[in-house]
Amino acid sequence: MGSFYFLGRSWLHLMAAGQKLAALMLVGAGLMWVHDWRILLFALVVVLGLLQQSGAGFKQVWLHVKSLCVWVLLLVVFTAVVQTPTLAAEAGLRMSTLLLAALVVTMTTSISSLMEVLIWLLTPFSRLGWINSERVALVFGLTLRLIPEMSAQWHDIREAQAARGLTVSPLTMGLPMLLRTIRRAQDIAEALDARQ
Amino acid sequence: MLIEFKKIFVERDGRQALSDVNLSLSERRIGVIGPNGSGKSTFIRLINGLILPQPGHVYVDGLDTRTQTEAVRRKVGFVFQNPDNQIVFPLVSEDIEFGLKRRLPHAAARKQRSQETLEQLGVLHLEDRLVHTLSGGEKQLIALAGVLATLPEILVFDEPTTQLDLRLRNRFERHLAALPQPAVVVSHDLELMKTMDRVLVLKQGCVVFDGAADAATSWYREHCG
Repeated sequence: MGSFYFLGRSWLHLMAAGQKLAALMLVGAGLMWVHDWRILLFALVVVLGLLQQSGAGFKQVWLHVKSLCVWVLLLVVFTAVVQTPTLAAEAGLRMSTLLLAALVVTMTTSISSLMEVLIWLLTPFSRLGWINSERVALVFGLTLRLIPEMSAQWHDIREAQAARGLTVSPLTMGLPMLLRTIRRAQDIAEALDARQ
Repeated sequence: MLIEFKKIFVERDGRQALSDVNLSLSERRIGVIGPNGSGKSTFIRLINGLILPQPGHVYVDGLDTRTQTEAVRRKVGFVFQNPDNQIVFPLVSEDIEFGLKRRLPHAAARKQRSQETLEQLGVLHLEDRLVHTLSGGEKQLIALAGVLATLPEILVFDEPTTQLDLRLRNRFERHLAALPQPAVVVSHDLELMKTMDRVLVLKQGCVVFDGAADAATSWYREHCG
Protein backbone atom coordinates (compact mmCIF):
# COMPACT_ATOMS: atom_id res chain seq x y z
CA MET A 1 0.00 0.00 0.00
CA GLY A 2 1.65 3.24 -1.05
CA SER A 3 -0.98 5.82 -1.93
CA PHE A 4 -4.70 6.51 -1.79
CA TYR A 5 -4.69 7.95 -5.30
CA PHE A 6 -4.98 5.68 -8.29
CA LEU A 7 -4.82 6.56 -11.96
CA GLY A 8 -8.09 6.53 -13.82
CA ARG A 9 -10.13 8.20 -16.52
CA SER A 10 -13.46 8.44 -14.68
CA TRP A 11 -15.40 11.69 -14.60
CA LEU A 12 -14.44 11.95 -10.93
CA HIS A 13 -10.75 11.86 -11.91
CA LEU A 14 -11.35 14.56 -14.52
CA MET A 15 -13.31 16.84 -12.17
CA ALA A 16 -11.32 19.80 -10.79
CA ALA A 17 -9.78 19.20 -7.37
CA GLY A 18 -11.24 22.45 -6.02
CA GLN A 19 -14.77 21.39 -7.00
CA LYS A 20 -14.36 18.01 -5.31
CA LEU A 21 -13.05 19.57 -2.12
CA ALA A 22 -15.85 22.14 -2.09
CA ALA A 23 -18.43 19.37 -2.58
CA LEU A 24 -16.85 17.33 0.21
CA MET A 25 -16.97 20.34 2.53
CA LEU A 26 -20.64 20.99 1.72
CA VAL A 27 -21.58 17.34 2.18
CA GLY A 28 -19.63 17.20 5.44
CA ALA A 29 -21.33 20.31 6.82
CA GLY A 30 -24.74 19.31 5.44
CA LEU A 31 -24.73 15.83 7.00
CA MET A 32 -24.29 17.34 10.44
CA TRP A 33 -27.75 18.89 10.11
CA VAL A 34 -29.45 15.71 8.96
CA HIS A 35 -31.01 13.57 11.70
CA ASP A 36 -33.19 11.29 9.60
CA TRP A 37 -31.57 7.87 9.22
CA ARG A 38 -33.33 7.32 5.86
CA ILE A 39 -31.70 10.41 4.34
CA LEU A 40 -28.35 9.40 5.84
CA LEU A 41 -28.73 5.91 4.36
CA PHE A 42 -29.56 7.47 0.99
CA ALA A 43 -26.39 9.64 1.24
CA LEU A 44 -24.32 6.55 1.99
CA VAL A 45 -25.77 4.75 -1.04
CA VAL A 46 -24.96 7.78 -3.23
CA VAL A 47 -21.36 7.85 -1.97
CA LEU A 48 -21.03 4.10 -2.58
CA GLY A 49 -22.26 4.78 -6.10
CA LEU A 50 -19.58 7.44 -6.51
CA LEU A 51 -16.93 4.98 -5.34
CA GLN A 52 -18.13 2.55 -7.96
CA GLN A 53 -18.07 5.35 -10.59
CA SER A 54 -14.46 6.15 -9.68
CA GLY A 55 -13.44 2.72 -10.95
CA ALA A 56 -12.02 1.62 -7.60
CA GLY A 57 -12.29 -2.09 -6.92
CA PHE A 58 -13.80 -3.51 -3.73
CA LYS A 59 -10.46 -4.91 -2.55
CA GLN A 60 -8.77 -1.54 -3.06
CA VAL A 61 -11.46 0.27 -1.05
CA TRP A 62 -11.48 -2.38 1.67
CA LEU A 63 -7.71 -2.06 2.06
CA HIS A 64 -8.14 1.60 3.00
CA VAL A 65 -11.25 1.35 5.15
CA LYS A 66 -10.83 -1.91 7.04
CA SER A 67 -8.90 -0.34 9.93
CA LEU A 68 -11.45 2.48 10.13
CA CYS A 69 -14.36 0.06 10.45
CA VAL A 70 -13.30 -0.72 14.01
CA TRP A 71 -13.53 2.95 14.98
CA VAL A 72 -16.91 3.41 13.33
CA LEU A 73 -18.14 0.30 15.13
CA LEU A 74 -16.82 1.61 18.45
CA LEU A 75 -18.59 4.91 17.84
CA VAL A 76 -21.86 3.10 17.12
CA VAL A 77 -21.61 0.86 20.19
CA PHE A 78 -20.65 3.77 22.44
CA THR A 79 -23.51 5.94 21.17
CA ALA A 80 -25.98 3.08 21.52
CA VAL A 81 -24.93 2.55 25.14
CA VAL A 82 -24.90 6.17 26.28
CA GLN A 83 -27.72 7.42 24.02
CA THR A 84 -30.19 5.51 21.85
CA PRO A 85 -29.85 2.88 19.11
CA THR A 86 -31.44 5.30 16.62
CA LEU A 87 -28.83 7.94 17.35
CA ALA A 88 -26.14 5.28 17.12
CA ALA A 89 -27.37 4.26 13.67
CA GLU A 90 -27.37 7.93 12.63
CA ALA A 91 -23.81 8.44 13.88
CA GLY A 92 -22.59 5.29 12.13
CA LEU A 93 -24.24 6.21 8.83
CA ARG A 94 -22.97 9.79 9.01
CA MET A 95 -19.40 8.79 9.83
CA SER A 96 -19.30 6.07 7.15
CA THR A 97 -20.65 8.46 4.52
CA LEU A 98 -18.10 11.11 5.41
CA LEU A 99 -15.17 8.69 5.43
CA LEU A 100 -16.15 7.19 2.09
CA ALA A 101 -16.78 10.62 0.55
CA ALA A 102 -13.30 11.72 1.67
CA LEU A 103 -11.92 8.49 0.22
CA VAL A 104 -13.58 9.23 -3.14
CA VAL A 105 -11.79 12.60 -3.21
CA THR A 106 -8.36 11.28 -2.20
CA MET A 107 -8.59 8.26 -4.50
CA THR A 108 -9.41 10.36 -7.55
CA THR A 109 -7.29 13.46 -6.90
CA SER A 110 -3.51 13.57 -7.08
CA ILE A 111 -1.67 15.06 -4.12
CA SER A 112 -0.18 17.82 -6.29
CA SER A 113 -3.70 18.88 -7.38
CA LEU A 114 -4.83 18.99 -3.74
CA MET A 115 -1.74 21.01 -2.87
CA GLU A 116 -2.45 23.51 -5.64
CA VAL A 117 -5.94 24.09 -4.25
CA LEU A 118 -4.53 24.56 -0.77
CA ILE A 119 -1.91 27.02 -2.03
CA TRP A 120 -4.68 28.98 -3.78
CA LEU A 121 -6.83 28.97 -0.64
CA LEU A 122 -3.95 30.14 1.52
CA THR A 123 -2.69 32.83 -0.87
CA PRO A 124 -4.39 35.71 1.05
CA PHE A 125 -2.64 34.66 4.28
CA SER A 126 0.59 34.23 2.38
CA ARG A 127 0.29 37.77 0.98
CA LEU A 128 -0.20 39.11 4.49
CA GLY A 129 3.05 37.36 5.42
CA TRP A 130 1.39 35.18 8.05
CA ILE A 131 2.31 31.86 6.48
CA ASN A 132 4.22 30.35 3.59
CA SER A 133 1.39 28.73 1.64
CA GLU A 134 3.72 26.46 -0.34
CA ARG A 135 5.24 25.07 2.83
CA VAL A 136 1.87 24.48 4.44
CA ALA A 137 0.71 22.72 1.27
CA LEU A 138 3.84 20.58 1.22
CA VAL A 139 3.30 19.54 4.84
CA PHE A 140 -0.30 18.66 3.98
CA GLY A 141 0.78 16.72 0.87
CA LEU A 142 3.48 14.82 2.73
CA THR A 143 1.08 13.94 5.54
CA LEU A 144 -1.41 12.55 3.07
CA ARG A 145 1.34 10.69 1.26
CA LEU A 146 2.72 9.14 4.43
CA ILE A 147 -0.52 7.91 6.02
CA PRO A 148 -0.58 4.66 3.99
CA GLU A 149 3.15 4.19 4.61
CA MET A 150 2.69 4.54 8.35
CA SER A 151 0.05 1.86 8.15
CA ALA A 152 2.43 -0.42 6.22
CA GLN A 153 5.15 0.34 8.78
CA TRP A 154 2.80 -0.66 11.59
CA HIS A 155 2.15 -4.01 9.91
CA ASP A 156 5.90 -4.58 9.32
CA ILE A 157 6.70 -3.98 12.98
CA ARG A 158 3.80 -6.12 14.16
CA GLU A 159 4.98 -8.97 11.91
CA ALA A 160 8.55 -8.65 13.18
CA GLN A 161 7.38 -8.64 16.80
CA ALA A 162 5.12 -11.63 16.19
CA ALA A 163 8.05 -13.51 14.66
CA ARG A 164 9.92 -12.92 17.93
CA GLY A 165 6.95 -14.11 19.95
CA LEU A 166 6.18 -10.68 21.39
CA THR A 167 2.65 -9.49 21.98
CA VAL A 168 1.37 -6.10 20.88
CA SER A 169 1.93 -3.48 23.56
CA PRO A 170 2.63 0.26 23.62
CA LEU A 171 6.28 -0.54 24.31
CA THR A 172 6.82 -3.19 21.63
CA MET A 173 4.86 -1.29 18.97
CA GLY A 174 4.95 2.37 20.02
CA LEU A 175 8.67 2.73 20.49
CA PRO A 176 9.78 1.20 17.16
CA MET A 177 7.03 3.17 15.38
CA LEU A 178 8.22 6.41 16.96
CA LEU A 179 11.89 5.77 16.19
CA ARG A 180 11.24 4.68 12.62
CA THR A 181 8.95 7.64 12.00
CA ILE A 182 11.51 10.12 13.29
CA ARG A 183 14.23 8.49 11.19
CA ARG A 184 12.02 8.56 8.10
CA ALA A 185 11.11 12.21 8.71
CA GLN A 186 14.80 13.09 8.96
CA ASP A 187 15.61 11.23 5.73
CA ILE A 188 12.77 12.89 3.82
CA ALA A 189 13.70 16.32 5.17
CA GLU A 190 17.27 15.77 4.02
CA ALA A 191 16.14 14.68 0.55
CA LEU A 192 13.82 17.70 0.27
CA ASP A 193 16.70 19.97 1.28
CA ALA A 194 18.87 18.43 -1.39
CA ARG A 195 16.17 18.91 -4.02
CA GLN A 196 15.48 22.59 -3.27
CA MET B 1 34.11 21.94 -12.35
CA LEU B 2 36.19 21.98 -9.19
CA ILE B 3 35.26 20.82 -5.71
CA GLU B 4 37.62 21.95 -3.00
CA PHE B 5 37.75 20.73 0.60
CA LYS B 6 39.83 23.00 2.82
CA LYS B 7 40.84 21.95 6.33
CA ILE B 8 37.62 20.04 6.91
CA PHE B 9 36.67 18.75 10.33
CA VAL B 10 33.21 17.37 11.04
CA GLU B 11 31.85 16.02 14.31
CA ARG B 12 28.66 13.92 14.20
CA ASP B 13 26.89 12.13 17.03
CA GLY B 14 29.69 12.99 19.42
CA ARG B 15 32.53 11.56 17.37
CA GLN B 16 34.91 12.92 14.76
CA ALA B 17 33.37 11.92 11.41
CA LEU B 18 36.02 13.67 9.29
CA SER B 19 39.43 15.01 10.26
CA ASP B 20 41.66 17.42 8.39
CA VAL B 21 40.46 16.69 4.87
CA ASN B 22 42.15 18.80 2.20
CA LEU B 23 41.33 17.91 -1.39
CA SER B 24 40.71 19.31 -4.84
CA LEU B 25 38.47 17.19 -7.05
CA SER B 26 38.27 17.92 -10.76
CA GLU B 27 38.07 14.47 -12.37
CA ARG B 28 34.96 13.36 -14.26
CA ARG B 29 34.31 10.28 -12.13
CA ILE B 30 35.37 10.21 -8.50
CA GLY B 31 34.79 7.20 -6.29
CA VAL B 32 34.75 7.08 -2.51
CA ILE B 33 35.16 3.80 -0.64
CA GLY B 34 35.77 2.87 2.96
CA PRO B 35 34.52 0.68 5.79
CA ASN B 36 31.17 1.39 7.47
CA GLY B 37 31.41 4.45 9.68
CA SER B 38 34.48 5.77 7.90
CA GLY B 39 32.84 9.11 7.03
CA LYS B 40 31.82 8.48 3.40
CA SER B 41 28.24 9.68 3.77
CA THR B 42 29.40 12.73 5.72
CA PHE B 43 31.98 13.45 3.02
CA ILE B 44 29.49 13.54 0.16
CA ARG B 45 26.90 15.47 2.17
CA LEU B 46 29.46 18.25 2.48
CA ILE B 47 29.38 18.73 -1.30
CA ASN B 48 25.86 20.14 -1.40
CA GLY B 49 25.81 21.68 2.05
CA LEU B 50 23.58 19.08 3.72
CA ILE B 51 26.32 19.00 6.34
CA LEU B 52 28.54 21.98 7.08
CA PRO B 53 32.12 21.53 8.27
CA GLN B 54 33.18 22.82 11.68
CA PRO B 55 35.67 24.25 10.94
CA GLY B 56 36.67 24.31 7.28
CA HIS B 57 35.21 25.25 3.91
CA VAL B 58 33.92 23.37 0.90
CA TYR B 59 33.84 25.20 -2.41
CA VAL B 60 31.91 23.95 -5.43
CA ASP B 61 32.96 25.81 -8.54
CA GLY B 62 34.06 28.66 -6.28
CA LEU B 63 30.81 28.76 -4.28
CA ASP B 64 31.05 28.30 -0.52
CA THR B 65 28.60 25.67 0.70
CA ARG B 66 28.25 27.54 3.99
CA THR B 67 27.27 30.95 2.63
CA GLN B 68 25.94 30.11 -0.84
CA THR B 69 24.06 26.91 -0.01
CA GLU B 70 21.11 27.49 -2.32
CA ALA B 71 23.33 28.23 -5.34
CA VAL B 72 25.42 25.14 -4.54
CA ARG B 73 22.35 22.91 -4.33
CA ARG B 74 21.22 24.11 -7.73
CA LYS B 75 24.53 22.92 -9.13
CA VAL B 76 24.77 19.64 -7.24
CA GLY B 77 22.26 16.85 -7.77
CA PHE B 78 22.18 14.32 -4.95
CA VAL B 79 20.91 10.77 -5.43
CA PHE B 80 20.23 9.06 -2.11
CA GLN B 81 20.78 5.42 -1.25
CA ASN B 82 17.11 4.76 -0.59
CA PRO B 83 14.89 6.08 -3.41
CA ASP B 84 11.83 5.81 -1.14
CA ASN B 85 13.16 8.72 0.89
CA GLN B 86 13.89 10.78 -2.17
CA ILE B 87 10.65 10.23 -4.04
CA VAL B 88 8.06 12.35 -2.28
CA PHE B 89 4.96 12.04 -4.46
CA PRO B 90 3.02 8.90 -5.32
CA LEU B 91 3.00 9.43 -9.08
CA VAL B 92 6.24 9.35 -11.10
CA SER B 93 5.53 12.44 -13.23
CA GLU B 94 4.16 14.30 -10.21
CA ASP B 95 7.38 13.72 -8.28
CA ILE B 96 9.72 14.79 -11.07
CA GLU B 97 7.66 17.91 -11.77
CA PHE B 98 7.64 18.78 -8.06
CA GLY B 99 11.45 19.13 -8.13
CA LEU B 100 11.16 21.59 -11.01
CA LYS B 101 8.59 23.90 -9.47
CA ARG B 102 11.03 26.65 -8.53
CA ARG B 103 13.02 26.39 -11.73
CA LEU B 104 10.17 26.20 -14.24
CA PRO B 105 7.04 28.15 -13.26
CA HIS B 106 4.92 26.85 -16.15
CA ALA B 107 3.33 23.44 -15.76
CA ALA B 108 3.71 22.63 -19.48
CA ALA B 109 7.46 23.29 -19.34
CA ARG B 110 7.77 21.08 -16.26
CA LYS B 111 5.86 18.30 -17.99
CA GLN B 112 8.09 18.53 -21.06
CA ARG B 113 11.31 18.48 -19.01
CA SER B 114 10.05 15.52 -17.02
CA GLN B 115 9.24 13.56 -20.18
CA GLU B 116 12.59 14.42 -21.78
CA THR B 117 14.47 13.19 -18.71
CA LEU B 118 12.49 9.97 -18.45
CA GLU B 119 13.12 9.34 -22.14
CA GLN B 120 16.84 9.97 -21.65
CA LEU B 121 16.88 7.15 -19.09
CA GLY B 122 14.64 4.93 -21.21
CA VAL B 123 11.79 4.91 -18.69
CA LEU B 124 9.23 7.21 -20.26
CA HIS B 125 6.71 4.35 -20.07
CA LEU B 126 6.78 4.72 -16.27
CA GLU B 127 5.59 8.33 -16.39
CA ASP B 128 2.05 7.63 -15.19
CA ARG B 129 2.88 4.79 -12.84
CA LEU B 130 2.42 4.91 -9.09
CA VAL B 131 5.80 4.82 -7.39
CA HIS B 132 4.89 2.04 -4.95
CA THR B 133 4.17 -0.30 -7.85
CA LEU B 134 7.72 0.06 -9.24
CA SER B 135 10.61 -2.32 -8.61
CA GLY B 136 13.64 -1.21 -6.60
CA GLY B 137 15.67 -0.62 -9.76
CA GLU B 138 12.91 1.39 -11.40
CA LYS B 139 12.58 3.52 -8.28
CA GLN B 140 16.33 4.16 -8.36
CA LEU B 141 16.02 5.34 -11.98
CA ILE B 142 13.05 7.59 -11.11
CA ALA B 143 15.04 9.12 -8.24
CA LEU B 144 17.88 9.72 -10.70
CA ALA B 145 15.43 11.21 -13.23
CA GLY B 146 14.13 13.58 -10.54
CA VAL B 147 17.67 14.83 -10.04
CA LEU B 148 18.68 14.94 -13.72
CA ALA B 149 15.55 16.92 -14.62
CA THR B 150 16.93 19.85 -12.64
CA LEU B 151 19.98 19.87 -14.94
CA PRO B 152 22.63 19.67 -12.22
CA GLU B 153 26.25 20.39 -13.08
CA ILE B 154 27.59 17.77 -10.66
CA LEU B 155 26.04 14.51 -9.50
CA VAL B 156 26.57 12.88 -6.14
CA PHE B 157 25.50 9.27 -5.55
CA ASP B 158 25.23 7.69 -2.12
CA GLU B 159 25.63 3.91 -2.52
CA PRO B 160 23.54 3.74 -5.68
CA THR B 161 23.87 0.01 -6.32
CA THR B 162 23.22 -1.32 -2.81
CA GLN B 163 19.59 -2.25 -3.46
CA LEU B 164 20.00 -3.43 -7.04
CA ASP B 165 20.32 -6.93 -8.41
CA LEU B 166 23.12 -7.72 -10.86
CA ARG B 167 21.14 -6.86 -13.99
CA LEU B 168 19.97 -3.51 -12.63
CA ARG B 169 23.39 -2.77 -11.20
CA ASN B 170 24.91 -3.24 -14.68
CA ARG B 171 22.18 -1.06 -16.15
CA PHE B 172 22.98 1.64 -13.60
CA GLU B 173 26.66 1.43 -14.51
CA ARG B 174 25.81 2.01 -18.17
CA HIS B 175 23.63 4.99 -17.30
CA LEU B 176 26.35 6.45 -15.12
CA ALA B 177 28.93 6.08 -17.89
CA ALA B 178 26.63 7.90 -20.33
CA LEU B 179 25.95 10.89 -18.09
CA PRO B 180 27.84 13.99 -19.21
CA GLN B 181 28.11 15.54 -15.71
CA PRO B 182 31.01 14.91 -13.35
CA ALA B 183 29.98 12.51 -10.60
CA VAL B 184 31.09 11.61 -7.10
CA VAL B 185 30.04 8.10 -6.15
CA VAL B 186 30.15 6.50 -2.72
CA SER B 187 29.92 2.74 -2.91
CA HIS B 188 31.04 -0.60 -1.53
CA ASP B 189 30.83 -1.92 -5.10
CA LEU B 190 34.49 -2.35 -6.02
CA GLU B 191 33.69 -3.27 -9.63
CA LEU B 192 31.89 0.05 -10.00
CA MET B 193 34.83 1.81 -8.37
CA LYS B 194 37.11 0.41 -11.05
CA THR B 195 35.27 2.54 -13.63
CA MET B 196 36.23 5.74 -11.78
CA ASP B 197 38.99 8.15 -12.76
CA ARG B 198 40.07 8.70 -9.18
CA VAL B 199 39.19 6.88 -5.99
CA LEU B 200 39.48 8.08 -2.40
CA VAL B 201 39.69 5.59 0.45
CA LEU B 202 38.32 6.84 3.75
CA LYS B 203 39.05 5.25 7.10
CA GLN B 204 38.14 6.63 10.52
CA GLY B 205 37.36 10.02 9.04
CA CYS B 206 40.63 10.45 7.16
CA VAL B 207 41.53 10.09 3.50
CA VAL B 208 44.04 7.25 3.75
CA PHE B 209 44.50 6.61 0.03
CA ASP B 210 43.92 8.80 -3.00
CA GLY B 211 44.76 7.54 -6.46
CA ALA B 212 43.83 5.61 -9.57
CA ALA B 213 40.94 3.15 -9.35
CA ASP B 214 42.96 -0.09 -9.56
CA ALA B 215 45.53 1.01 -7.02
CA ALA B 216 42.86 2.31 -4.64
CA THR B 217 40.72 -0.85 -4.76
CA SER B 218 43.81 -3.04 -4.25
CA TRP B 219 44.89 -0.91 -1.30
CA TYR B 220 41.38 -1.12 0.13
CA ARG B 221 41.26 -4.92 -0.18
CA GLU B 222 44.65 -5.24 1.46
CA HIS B 223 44.13 -2.83 4.34
CA CYS B 224 40.42 -2.85 5.03
CA GLY B 225 39.32 -6.29 3.83
